[in-house]
Amino acid sequence: MKALSSPLFYLWLLSFLFFSSCQVTLAPAYDQAIVDKVTVNSELAMRFFAQVDGGTESDTFTLREPIYNQLIGSFESLKLQAKARPVPENAALDKINALLASKGTSPIAGDYPSAFAFDQIAATFAKMKNTDKTQGLKPVVLEAFKGQIEIYLDQAITYEGFLKR
Amino acid sequence: MSGQVASIISEIKTIASNVLERDIQEVRGFSERQVEAIAKQTAIIKKGVENGEIDDDLREFFLDGLEAMTLNFVNTLKGILAVTIEKLWNALIKFIYKAVGAVT
Repeated sequence: MKALSSPLFYLWLLSFLFFSSCQVTLAPAYDQAIVDKVTVNSELAMRFFAQVDGGTESDTFTLREPIYNQLIGSFESLKLQAKARPVPENAALDKINALLASKGTSPIAGDYPSAFAFDQIAATFAKMKNTDKTQGLKPVVLEAFKGQIEIYLDQAITYEGFLKR
Repeated sequence: MSGQVASIISEIKTIASNVLERDIQEVRGFSERQVEAIAKQTAIIKKGVENGEIDDDLREFFLDGLEAMTLNFVNTLKGILAVTIEKLWNALIKFIYKAVGAVT
């Protein structure tokens, strides 16, 4: 923050920007279709958790199986959609990463945290489905599955929302 | 000349502050939510292991999950940082090219 008050910093920044390049793209494009699909499926997931609140018994698993399949399929598909966008690779990103490395900081991301989150949500629902089928879901187990999915949903929704420049 | 430089520096400061202040506020909210949720998740897993509701297989699954979600929390912050740098960079480039055009 101290550097921001130095005129030399601005002179350096001015020269760096001017001689580097013009407008740059450092992150994937915003996709309204992905945001809409996440919204719909996160609502479906939360409604499902409300339905099974308190735990489940394995003998009623077949009633829930179609919802598990829908959720797993939707989040797998979201992962593919999120990954289908090209990650920009350009000289500006390389320069920023080199600058960060020289300051001992790790490079900024060139991948998709939302795609990873969607993949983990699908995997969590798959594990939950299998557990429900074989032994039912005890209240604490259900709470842990819900917590894991909520955390990944927050990561994905925040990141995708942030892409809207 | 020095008046122009001072004016350009002032404008750059304003552009940078506008972009950073808004984004930092959003990042702070996200970070607080995540840290709190990960701490809560840790407590739920501990409770389940202690009362025997979470067996060895699920314990392994949830512990791997905790590690992966923490890593992705950091990667999400990095992804957000990339967007913020992009917005800042493009706003400054736009201004600089406009400023150069104005003085030549």
